[in-house]
Amino acid sequence: MGNFEATLITIISLSTPMVFAVLGETISEKVGVVNLSLEGSLLLTALVGFAVSVISGYALIGFLAAGATGGLIAASLSVCDVKLKMNQIAVGFVLTIFLAKLSSYLGQEYVRVPGPYLPSIKLPLVSEIPVLGEVLFGQNIVVLLAIIAVPITWGFLYRTKYGLELRAVGENPYSADARGINVARTKFIYTTIGGILIGLGGAAFSLHAKFGWSDGHTTNYGWIALAIVIFGGWNPVRCVAGVYMFGALQVLAFKLQAVTLGLSQVLPLIPFPLMILTLIGIQIANQRDVKWIPRFVKVMILGNQPQSLGITFNKDG
Amino acid sequence: MKPEIKSILANLISLIIVFLVISIFLILIGSSPFEVYLAFLDGAFGNTDRFTRTLLTTAILSISAFALVVTFTGGLWNIGIEGQLVAGSIGATVIARSFIGETVAAPVFEILLGSLFGSLIAVFCGILKVRTKVHEIFGGLGLDFVAAGVIVYLVIGPWKREGIASTSGTDIFPDTAWIQGFGEYGLPIWPIIFALIIGASLLFCFKRTAFGLRLKAVGSNPESSQRFGIEPSRYLLYAFALAGAIGGIAGVVQATVVYHKLVPFISGGYGFLGILIALISSRNVILVVLVSTVFACLLIGGTQLQLKLGMHSSLSGIIQGLLVLTWILIKASKLDLKLANKILARS
Repeated sequence: MGNFEATLITIISLSTPMVFAVLGETISEKVGVVNLSLEGSLLLTALVGFAVSVISGYALIGFLAAGATGGLIAASLSVCDVKLKMNQIAVGFVLTIFLAKLSSYLGQEYVRVPGPYLPSIKLPLVSEIPVLGEVLFGQNIVVLLAIIAVPITWGFLYRTKYGLELRAVGENPYSADARGINVARTKFIYTTIGGILIGLGGAAFSLHAKFGWSDGHTTNYGWIALAIVIFGGWNPVRCVAGVYMFGALQVLAFKLQAVTLGLSQVLPLIPFPLMILTLIGIQIANQRDVKWIPRFVKVMILGNQPQSLGITFNKDG
Repeated sequence: MKPEIKSILANLISLIIVFLVISIFLILIGSSPFEVYLAFLDGAFGNTDRFTRTLLTTAILSISAFALVVTFTGGLWNIGIEGQLVAGSIGATVIARSFIGETVAAPVFEILLGSLFGSLIAVFCGILKVRTKVHEIFGGLGLDFVAAGVIVYLVIGPWKREGIASTSGTDIFPDTAWIQGFGEYGLPIWPIIFALIIGASLLFCFKRTAFGLRLKAVGSNPESSQRFGIEPSRYLLYAFALAGAIGGIAGVVQATVVYHKLVPFISGGYGFLGILIALISSRNVILVVLVSTVFACLLIGGTQLQLKLGMHSSLSGIIQGLLVLTWILIKASKLDLKLANKILARS
């Protein structure tokens, strides 16, 4: 196996948790809900995933438990949004801080404890493809699931009736409501599904990419994921491309660590200025209705922000 | 029945419910609520040293939350507050490391440049919002991390200690660049004065000035305030500028009173805590000070939990989170008002 191939495997493998997290947050934001609990959710679900797998002895059970936990968190956020008409930003923000602390408290007994590993699998045939086969299909089931989840999410969002409903609610819940879509139910279901994916992402940290548990195990990855969703223009495929770019940056930073301390510390922060630049770009392109930029470039580097993002749907006014 | 009585009763009920929820949580994790509360009180007020630290923390938290009161009044979510604190501390460090740092005028210039830096980074977030419609949550979050990158770069790069580049911080500031405490125990008199001045100015500003009224109007209904000739985007920028300056001062205090140097995690998370405090104080300046005191008790008292009861110090953070979460849930469900109505109907 060549050096290049090994690096590629590292990048794909290390990026797995962020793929889940970013897909989950994208689905959630597409339906109009900013799940700001992302940072805290990742921490708590990483812990739940690891702890349950230690207790049960099966990593996969931990993985599923983390997904359920992530779903539960998102469902509560959604109830606050849909039922109680609370500001989702406020609830998400408070949840993030609360869940992060909760993970440090509950995680005390699991710091640097050994645990079961995920079963590794090798798909027949496709894993024989040179270079890409080993990279994509020769690792463990979580890596594989993350890779499969990308086209499924994209296909669901853009090629199914339900995906259309989802996006309609995120763009304009009032007209979606007028067309007979149950806005509250749609928001609840997809925020929860997004949360489940985020939970799987948390578990993918503690059971795969950064095995085990330590205090603040996934610190800042939630915020980074939030930035990447925007950098990806709310398009799952582009978001995941952003995740892999970030993964490559991290590997680069790691290799540079011996050379310069400064750069390796600063590189992981690059998604944030990129996020801001993307948002500015989207706005300028929309405002001026720039003609000279080919449509294809617009799709590639800009994107559309769901119009009702972060806004509570209140039918009665 | 007077509406004030009902509102006070409702708040009292909320307080009792929050207390109950936290107590139940403490019982669930197998500890005695009474012992935990006692440890918090002892840890926060048990001796002069602890009392001093609690006072200082209360002052910093209040200042930070005041910044949020301004932006919340303008209807803004200033998540960039952490970056504003960081910018303020960088401003203070610039002065402390310059020739001015060796003179008695250092603290004055530290505050000036710190609040200027805080204000600039906040206004940048504001410009992103009003000119390019970048939501302040994303802009603020982005700038928080940009500021975090800059501070790490400064600490291990240009401002590194002689010979060692480590994230443990820069050289200690010269004595003249410290904002000194008062007396033997270093009573944090200046941070308290800053907090009082800022709090009083805000009270005056919101109650007595046209600026305060207009900002409130913009915050509660930007469309109709525009119809009354108030340009919302201008007031949003003012709000950011003011909040950034206040947040910057909190950063200056962190650098010149608490650490006496620049460290990467200089904000101590006090910016985000300020958001929580402002959130449950419903933009009320007096309440901000009260809630900040409670949070300072939880933060400073939390250290005693570990020493005395052998409990993890993160418990303090959980209690803070639980407190805010329960509080906003009660307010959103109007549970407190319903209960207050029942009680008033009976008496």
